[in-house]
Amino acid sequence: MAALLRSSRLLKCSPLGLLQISGTKRTGPPLRLLFSGPLGARGTGVCSRHISPVSGNASSRVWPYTVGCVRNYAVATEQKDEPSIAERPNQAQEFDFALARLDSSVRRTGRITKVQLNRIFQDICKKAAYPSGNQALLLLRSCGSLMPEVPLEQRTELAHQVWEKLQELGTVYDVSHYNALLKVYLQNEFKFTPTDFLAKMEAANVQPNRVTYQRLIAAYCQNGDIDGASTILGYMKSNDLPITEAVFNSLVTGHAQAGDIESAKKILTVMEGAGIEPGPDTYVALLNAYAEKGDLDNLKKTMEAAESAMCSLVDRDLMPVIITLAKAGHQEHIPHMLERFSHERAYVPDAMNLCLSLTTQGLEDTAFYILKNFPSLQNNPSLQSKDTIIEPHLGHFLLRHCVNIDMSPEKICRFCKELQESKLNTEPVIFTLNVALETQKTALSLALMKMLKELDLPIRPHFFWPLLSPHVKDRNQAGVVEVLKSMHDLKIEPDSETLTHYVYPAFTDVEAAREALKDAGMSLESEGIFAAQVRSLALNNLAELHTMLSDPSCPVTDLSVFRGSLIVGFKKFSDVESMVKIIELLSKDPRFSREGKEMHNTSAFFLYHFIDHMSEKEVHANKDKLRKFFNQLKDQKISVTPNIYRGIRRLLDSYQASELVKDVGALVNHGLESDALPGSGPEYAPEKKIGSRVYALEKKLAKRKSENQPLGFMLKQAIQSHAAEDNLVRALELKQEYEDEMLLPAYATLIGLCCRLNNVEEALNLKRELTRKDSSVTLDGNKYISLVNSLAKKDRIEEAVDLLKEMKEREVVLTDKNNTQLFHMLFSLANNGAASTVERLQDSIFTLGLAKPTTLLLSPLITAYIKNEDLSGALEAASRCLKLYNHMVPVHGIMVAMVEKGDADLLQKAMEFASNERGEMAMMFDLFFAFLQTGRYREARRIIETPGLRARTTRISWFAAKCINSNQIEPLEQMVGMTEKLFECDRDEMYSYLLKHYEVTNEWQKAVALWTKMQEENLIPRDGTLLLLAKILKNNGQEVPFDVSKMWYQEEAPPAEVKREAPTPKIEAPTPKIEAPTPKIEAPKPKVEEGPSSKDPSLQSPIIALCKKNRAQEALTMFKEAKDSPFNAKSFNLLICVLLSEGSIKDAMAVKDIATSRIPEFQMSHAANDLYIITTTLKGQANDALERMKQADHMPSKLALTRLVQALGNSGNVSGIQEVEELIKGKVVNLATMPVVTRTAIAHIKSGDLEGATEVLEAFYTNPDCESQPQGMPYVFNMILEDNNEEALDKLSAMAERLANQFARYRPVSDLFLELLDADKVEDAKFMLARNNAVAEQTDTLVAYLFRKSRIPGQLGKIETLLSLIPDFAEKDVVNKHVMRCHINDKDFSSAKALYEEWQKSGGEIDTVSLKRLAVMYRMFGETVPFNEPRESIRFFELKEKAQKKEKAQKEAET
Amino acid sequence: MAAPSKKVFEVFVTKIPWTLAGKEMREYFAQFGPVKKCLLPFHKETGFHKGFCWVGFTTEEGLNNALQKDPHTLEGAKLLVQKNIRPFQGPRLSKDAEYD
Repeated sequence: MAALLRSSRLLKCSPLGLLQISGTKRTGPPLRLLFSGPLGARGTGVCSRHISPVSGNASSRVWPYTVGCVRNYAVATEQKDEPSIAERPNQAQEFDFALARLDSSVRRTGRITKVQLNRIFQDICKKAAYPSGNQALLLLRSCGSLMPEVPLEQRTELAHQVWEKLQELGTVYDVSHYNALLKVYLQNEFKFTPTDFLAKMEAANVQPNRVTYQRLIAAYCQNGDIDGASTILGYMKSNDLPITEAVFNSLVTGHAQAGDIESAKKILTVMEGAGIEPGPDTYVALLNAYAEKGDLDNLKKTMEAAESAMCSLVDRDLMPVIITLAKAGHQEHIPHMLERFSHERAYVPDAMNLCLSLTTQGLEDTAFYILKNFPSLQNNPSLQSKDTIIEPHLGHFLLRHCVNIDMSPEKICRFCKELQESKLNTEPVIFTLNVALETQKTALSLALMKMLKELDLPIRPHFFWPLLSPHVKDRNQAGVVEVLKSMHDLKIEPDSETLTHYVYPAFTDVEAAREALKDAGMSLESEGIFAAQVRSLALNNLAELHTMLSDPSCPVTDLSVFRGSLIVGFKKFSDVESMVKIIELLSKDPRFSREGKEMHNTSAFFLYHFIDHMSEKEVHANKDKLRKFFNQLKDQKISVTPNIYRGIRRLLDSYQASELVKDVGALVNHGLESDALPGSGPEYAPEKKIGSRVYALEKKLAKRKSENQPLGFMLKQAIQSHAAEDNLVRALELKQEYEDEMLLPAYATLIGLCCRLNNVEEALNLKRELTRKDSSVTLDGNKYISLVNSLAKKDRIEEAVDLLKEMKEREVVLTDKNNTQLFHMLFSLANNGAASTVERLQDSIFTLGLAKPTTLLLSPLITAYIKNEDLSGALEAASRCLKLYNHMVPVHGIMVAMVEKGDADLLQKAMEFASNERGEMAMMFDLFFAFLQTGRYREARRIIETPGLRARTTRISWFAAKCINSNQIEPLEQMVGMTEKLFECDRDEMYSYLLKHYEVTNEWQKAVALWTKMQEENLIPRDGTLLLLAKILKNNGQEVPFDVSKMWYQEEAPPAEVKREAPTPKIEAPTPKIEAPTPKIEAPKPKVEEGPSSKDPSLQSPIIALCKKNRAQEALTMFKEAKDSPFNAKSFNLLICVLLSEGSIKDAMAVKDIATSRIPEFQMSHAANDLYIITTTLKGQANDALERMKQADHMPSKLALTRLVQALGNSGNVSGIQEVEELIKGKVVNLATMPVVTRTAIAHIKSGDLEGATEVLEAFYTNPDCESQPQGMPYVFNMILEDNNEEALDKLSAMAERLANQFARYRPVSDLFLELLDADKVEDAKFMLARNNAVAEQTDTLVAYLFRKSRIPGQLGKIETLLSLIPDFAEKDVVNKHVMRCHINDKDFSSAKALYEEWQKSGGEIDTVSLKRLAVMYRMFGETVPFNEPRESIRFFELKEKAQKKEKAQKEAET
Repeated sequence: MAAPSKKVFEVFVTKIPWTLAGKEMREYFAQFGPVKKCLLPFHKETGFHKGFCWVGFTTEEGLNNALQKDPHTLEGAKLLVQKNIRPFQGPRLSKDAEYD
């Protein structure tokens, strides 16, 4: 497939990066797939290179060699600015994450594995375009002694790789990096030329610092080159660089290496002279020198000297000495050194690393000696937990390492033996074997198995599977035989599983395999071989299988041994005859039934499983064969029990293949007595019953006929009964017999039957007959399609097309169901590879307009081509579909087939096509899915990692759904892993796809692992996802390690918080579970009770949905049904609101009561309260509303208050209003804007207390502020006038006039005057005006009236009346403007035109708004505008006017 | 018949050492009652099993017996045995189904 990708390079329309990536090699280990980097924010933590303060403290004990140099880095770089870090916070976070990963490893074990380092290396390379200096430093530093398992040379090599790669990626190295590299060189004892190194630094323009020189000295000294060291030392001195202890330590080593141990010893004195105290490292340097010589005495002396110098040497300090001793071949002294060990707390991890180092360097015997002298657990109670006895498992780490470095099997076996005999480890062999098998080391595995045999431990066939599986994968037959031979040598016979899964697949067929086994001298008689053969035959050759099984010599074999394979073999439908024979055999031969099981049950169960294992698609594709199969079974008198029948029927129904049910029904208890039918009802159709029923019917028919009664209906019934039995012959006979009585339905049934039995001729005959009889009747779509289908199957396409045309002529309407039928027809034809037939039919269907072209209906064509393996045809067909019907059929299937075939050229064409039609992005996804589907994950990964690619949610979810439906979990898992860095990819959703699958398969461990991965990705899962995870865990009786008590629909739930605090999953702590098995058993109990509650979220949400659609009653009904469902307060309120706005106060209150009973602290929300007040007020229950308001602890909305006060006023409830007033006084609501006064007055009036009303109003009007609220009063007058309340009118007008006369408050009179006008009481108004002349001067009020009236159509009369009463209260222009507006409102064009002319003549200034309005009108009436129309919109002028008014008012206020 | 209404008596076993295969599991659990099915999935690629297993008993008694025993020690390893909450609906293997 790599070639395939390369070919895509030539693609012109090639997507962004596909071209470039094909060349690069990507070697991310599979583990990386679901690994991830940080996406979200993390605490800043350690993100600079000044690691020492943070990690140094925590891990100094296990980061022994780096602490020192880290300090030095800090010295070296502290002064440096690092702007790059500030600029790239993301990188800093990534670095932090990588560090955390390495750090945790170092913390736990004191080492880093090569895999870990590689992983982070790849990660950093991929993620950061420019890996930061920190990352580089981290990687380089890890390439030293932190990897005791890696040989020294390899470590240096790795360091160089990192160095070069990062440089390539653009990392800028500073002195710290060079120093780090030097340290690695030293740790790895890498031989290099210090001067070259310096030259390299100079070339890179990097200034060496003190640390550089120190290390270079160390490098010289490691080789005993004192001269070289001296040169540098001299240079340091001349540059005034301080000579530190480290330099002296190096010199000790240097002299020793040069063979001058005396000089080495003297250095200590020199140090003292220079005022530097020898430190542990100094003594260790000296110790190493003696160790090399094997000078035990001086070793001891030096150690004592160190002690007396108060320089304590800890275990870790002494460990290098052991290495030196071992390397120099002085193993005999090691026990003396070990005696010195104090076994301090950190001893074990350090010693483990020592052992690993020794082993890596080929000193495994020393390593083992140290291992055996590990402080034993028995002697160290602190290492034992209280009540569990730890099985001794000493040395697993070392054994694993030995296997990994390919140590000789003999040696490993020897170690195992020693460990076993010394009882330090109970099962070293089994453990080592496991590792050997995991790493597929055949020789070692076999050696270990021999040991097992000697130890009398069982060896099982599946032990060999890991050894066989790679051979099977590579189809390496010799390899397989080799392993089988060794099995034979160990006297292990391969069982059937071994053969079926790990042997036979390597061979072309079973015979070849048997031949090979025979050649290898193996027995072919074993039970396993027999079973494997049965299975293989079941898969490939049913006829032979039958022959073999029916042979009397065939041993007793339970069906379960080969059932799975048999099902797969059956599903091929290649040999229906043999299938029937095998079923027959199963039902009659006791050898294949488990003891105590009825034989016919065995076969019936098998039938059920068979159908169960077929997919809907398979059933439809093989419908005919299935029918044939069932019919032949019936002929062979194979029977199934009603139970099984019901099961199969359910399956078939679920596959939408109910037409097959009959055929199965015919098998029910065939040949058994009818009394063996328990509970036989009409739901299934035992043949006998039908038979007797038909018989009775026919008898009745004959009788009726003889009586000359109409028998059409009964005839139809009889025919249908026969049809149900597929008894065409008898049905036709009946038709013949009662020819005249045949009705359309009877014909239709017959035609349907003929089609089902593939008897097209008869069907067509019947149809012709029907037409002859009554040309007006038309068959329905169903029958037509059946006919078309039958014809098409027989390749009678022209006739089929004619029928389709006839359908069109007869205007047969196709339902959705018919459409599905069409699809199934096309699909089954396609499955037979009849591409041209499919295309012809499609053409006709679409051009005739019988069905609209859809992707679904078009897709069978592609299937047909793929079935024929004509991929270029498929591609062309897709292109035709697009051209003809403008529908893009999914190219997925085509691409999958192409990839499977490995046809690069065609794939390229397909890519071009998809890319041209749907864009590159869509094409990339097509390709991606095709690679995923075909298991070419590497290629898929390359595609999806194309730069610039974005997530396409719909396509991804399509593929996910496809995977879930077809149970292809691996592609799905791969996809989830690969899309990690896909731009805009909804990670949460990706994970939820997998979770959904795990829910189905109940794989809670995987689900938990997924959760961990999500954390790793720093992903914050949605509530729904967590809920699903919790469900999976709960279903499996697992503890849910996070908080999901909040339901997902409570939006307020802060999911992020919950997750962060959540502890890691509990699976790692199995002990409490083992200890408490009893609660485990009880655990499922509450689960059952929880049944309904798990349903609840789904019940609450539809109720909410109904509420939101304002379907209150439906919501209520559902609410009542879902009695105990846990509604939250919010939902309660929502329901209450909806009910209230519908006016159902009672229901709402009932819901509220329920809410209060469930949630004691339940409070109606503000909105609900307001709604309650409004609704009750509207219903005239103002008092209830008032009560509610009093109870509620919040201020109702202004609207609610207004309504309430209005209602109270209307009902004359003065005290109520006062109460309200009391309640709202001093609260946020501005009392003045409330209609309280007016309403109080109205209330007084309503209650007949005119005095009170007058008092209120008088007080109101005499208040100097009253002018600001002009609204209230007119309303009162208006109401009195409307009510014709003469008495009140008298009183109030008297009051108004009094106010005018006594207090010069003209507002009431003006208001009253205008209200009178408005109520058409012109006479009264006239009198009013006469009595109060001042009214004519109330220009503002009058103009306001003009303004109000001119806005409402049909109010011109009122204005005219006013003008006739008070002609000149305003300027002409103002009046004209409003009159004009009236005309325009009334759409009185002629008057408007007249006014315009008059206005013009009068020489008045016509304002722009009026002009604009008029212009609009001119245009509306289709006349040209005779003046310059203002450009701005009316709205503009209105706003302008408003602004002007405001300005004016402001000015007035200022003056 | 695999009708969903039918009761299944299954345990879900985890922490199974690699040395055991389906046969051993079946044999071990047979001491508690007749074992109807035992499914220990293997990774075809690696040849190792996945460490967990479903064991279905014919009778409720078998199930209860198995659940009551503690600890389940087999060849020196402690098995974790719990009731299988939801009946295993194994993936329909397309290539070859493993039944034993």
